[in-house]
Amino acid sequence: MALPVLELRGIGKAFDGVPALKGIDLSVHEGELVALIGPSGSGKSTLLRCCNRLTEPDGGAVRFGGRPAPSGGRALAEARRRMGMVFQAFNLYPHLTALENAALAPRRAAGLSRKAAEQAAREALSRVGLADRADARPDALSGGQQQRVAIARALALRPRILLLDEPTSALDPELVGSVLDVIGSLKADGVAMLIATHEIAFAREAADRIVFLAEGRILESGPPEEVLDRPRSARLRSFLRRL
Amino acid sequence: MASIFETFLNGEVMLESAGLLLRGLLVTLEVSVLVIPGGIAVGAALATAASVAPPWLDRALSWGVDLVRAFPPLVLLVLIVHGLPFLGLEPPPLLGVAIALTVNTAAYYGEILRAGIASIDRAQWEAARSTGLSTPGVLRFVILPQAVRNVLPDLAGNTLEAAKLTALASAVALPDLLRMARIAQGVHFNPSPLVLAAILYLLFLWPLAGVVRRIGGRTTLPV
Repeated sequence: MALPVLELRGIGKAFDGVPALKGIDLSVHEGELVALIGPSGSGKSTLLRCCNRLTEPDGGAVRFGGRPAPSGGRALAEARRRMGMVFQAFNLYPHLTALENAALAPRRAAGLSRKAAEQAAREALSRVGLADRADARPDALSGGQQQRVAIARALALRPRILLLDEPTSALDPELVGSVLDVIGSLKADGVAMLIATHEIAFAREAADRIVFLAEGRILESGPPEEVLDRPRSARLRSFLRRL
Repeated sequence: MASIFETFLNGEVMLESAGLLLRGLLVTLEVSVLVIPGGIAVGAALATAASVAPPWLDRALSWGVDLVRAFPPLVLLVLIVHGLPFLGLEPPPLLGVAIALTVNTAAYYGEILRAGIASIDRAQWEAARSTGLSTPGVLRFVILPQAVRNVLPDLAGNTLEAAKLTALASAVALPDLLRMARIAQGVHFNPSPLVLAAILYLLFLWPLAGVVRRIGGRTTLPV
């Protein structure tokens, strides 16, 4: 079996005393795509953000690449580079071109030469099918293109895993497909991914495992056909019915 | 009785005092060249420190900035220029004036830049952090370029104010443009040198004001 890239053990988080995550155990293995599904407010985003400590978990352990993930300093910054994150609202840098968006961290965080950083950024933009828009600024791109640039920004750092936080939820319906196609092609290339999504059809097709999160707990987890076709809990049955 | 022209636009007096006034203009330009970049640098340091500081330090910085801004700049100038020698520091007069005016103008630049940084969505910080950039890297490459563009009109306006503020230097006997004009006025018993000084100030500040207007007309960064 492939090695685990990311392992979460007993991750807990509360905001102002209100628990958002209650002891999450989850691992993602090399080349694996794990889809997090669940109602809004179930803790999907918080869980993803606890992986790279954009949100500091209250308790539990994160292991990355078989070792305890660092909790601060340079080591954390380096770990973050290796866990590319893609946000619901893209969060591209509006003052930089697509190429500069993708080249910034390779140059300034990974310390590559200008040339090598640009090369990495161009390769990443090609992978998401936007090599021809390298010099466009975000406001000149469609939402779908912006999200693909955001994926390229993460890919340019050659991450060991991608954390995707509802990457298509902010997109017009006709643009969702282009982003899901890119994610599907990354899966085919063997990129490990943990993705929070409401796209159940996509999850069924592309995910190796689906994890159902509700009220901060994992209620069900398993291969798509098992979780989606034979839900065991009333909570998941009602969630799937309402989609 | 002398005509208004002989009093205020006396060509002979203007010609005779022109050399003195040009030397004064040079001093004014020197002070500006020290105070404006100095104020921007110190203001940027204050604003970036406040953006990453723990709340108590942020409050302390705001308190200090408010204190400086509440101080009449002339009083601040006199206190600093005449106070530094008591601390064992005797900088050349030009430098003393530059320090005092930098303290004043840095407080304003700092507040403008702080507002600029606050105008940038937290999501930009998070996106940049998620790629492994350090806090200084996030500020330098992601936050500050956008923040500066959002407050460019205010920065330009404050620069104009800082340039005009240099006229205060004449109060502590620095031979700047205004001081030289007052001297020439006394020598000739005629205020024409003041008018000439006003013309020189205009020649120096008008283009700057034009730049400010052009920048001010620009819209903020689309997000």
